[in-house]
Amino acid sequence: MINRIYALLIRYKNISFGSFPRLLSIFYWPTVQILFWGYFTNFFMSNNEFGVWSVLNIILSAVILWDVLFRGQLGLTMSFFEELWSRNLPNLFITPIKDLEIVIGLVLISLIRTIIGLTPAVFFANYFFNFHLFELGFYLVFLFFNLIVVGWAVGFIVSGLVLRYGHAFEELAWAIIFIILPFSCVYYPLSSLPEIIQDIVQILPTVHIFESMREVAINGNFNKYDLLKIIFLNLVYIFLSVLFFLKMIKVARLKGLLFNQGE
Amino acid sequence: MKNTSVKTLGLSKAYDNKVILQDVSLELPTNGIFGILGKNGAGKTTLLAMLMGLITPTKGEIFIYGKSLRDHKYEILKLINFQSPYVELPKKMTVFQNLVFYARLYNVNNFKSKILKLSKDLKISDLLKYSYGNLSSGQKTRVNLCKALLNNPRLLLLDEPTASLDVLTSAFIREYILDFQKKNKSTIIITSHDLVEIEKMCNYLVLLDCGKLTYKGNLKNLIKNNNSLLEFFLQND
Repeated sequence: MINRIYALLIRYKNISFGSFPRLLSIFYWPTVQILFWGYFTNFFMSNNEFGVWSVLNIILSAVILWDVLFRGQLGLTMSFFEELWSRNLPNLFITPIKDLEIVIGLVLISLIRTIIGLTPAVFFANYFFNFHLFELGFYLVFLFFNLIVVGWAVGFIVSGLVLRYGHAFEELAWAIIFIILPFSCVYYPLSSLPEIIQDIVQILPTVHIFESMREVAINGNFNKYDLLKIIFLNLVYIFLSVLFFLKMIKVARLKGLLFNQGE
Repeated sequence: MKNTSVKTLGLSKAYDNKVILQDVSLELPTNGIFGILGKNGAGKTTLLAMLMGLITPTKGEIFIYGKSLRDHKYEILKLINFQSPYVELPKKMTVFQNLVFYARLYNVNNFKSKILKLSKDLKISDLLKYSYGNLSSGQKTRVNLCKALLNNPRLLLLDEPTASLDVLTSAFIREYILDFQKKNKSTIIITSHDLVEIEKMCNYLVLLDCGKLTYKGNLKNLIKNNNSLLEFFLQND
């Protein structure tokens, strides 16, 4: 019996610690939780009310907008993973479809899945908590599109890594967004973070997006400088991530990986 | 090159210094069924994958119907299709949805009637409504073949088309392929471990051994003094 249990333990050890992404997901989560709830509690305790917008409204806006990013990324990666899991990649890549057409297809299905997925959440938030997301007006459209673009950028990086390095990187599809969560200032302002981290995290478009969301919610205006920063960072990230994904398809062709993917 | 379907010049593939295919040059005519034979790891599937652009050669050049695969890839891919028991279709979609998906990718005109006709011929009409993932391996093979014929390929690549099938289904698939080739005058390249199958279907053979081309030519010339391919391989092993 001991031998059999030992054999199982060895097998599960190999699965759990056999790849860097899986190892990362084991020790990263407790740290993320502590950082996230620590900063969030600080912000919550020191801010009770912002004019007509309660803290609750700001949090609900952040929850829904964060989900735009998460759903956007997941919609893209899961659609691509379906091809891997079905062992369908060779069939797909021998059709006259171009790599860029696959990119466009993934982006569109992600957009559709995100809109469908979030509609009930917005409705329930409105019905049960008298929460009016649409009061963000035109800014909502701007924030939505920029967050989903961040999701696509992350999605292309993850899809490229899985195509190149295999299924061990699938874990990242679920984890990567939450790795950047504490540093994205989703539920608390940038000023809540230690100064040294504040300078570093400004390379994340999410920081400027959620800072802008709070600015609109509290003061009703949008800093034009932030708007330009968001657009610039997103253009750079989406361009580089698509380039990375296309490069990984090329590498997969060189290494014969398109033929050997599957569950 | 007018009557050449596939031409490879010095085709080689290596992964991290491990040679899979070495300096393979061959020229196959149009209109016929050609067999690629070799032991496991001989490079058969790698050669097929390179002909479809799935694997980029380390060295060498591929021409399909006179056009360079590197320079005219998408134009050539419209003329090609492929079937393998090791490559599946999306499991969560029904057979019909899968076939419609691929018909659209190949820009097939009147694809619904084309699917219905092929399904009837391949005896899979009653499977159209089922999820692909729920089919048996024999049923999947027939559905995969249906997918492979959707665009009336001028060049059809079949990787072990009857692997793990029962005798009756194998015979049916073989007959169907032979009939398709005669009617469409297309070029079919088959890799198989089944020597009887290769003998029945192909009159031209390519032999690979450890990535090297060891024979290309007529089946009759190869087995000259032997009664069958099996006897030839047993004597030359």
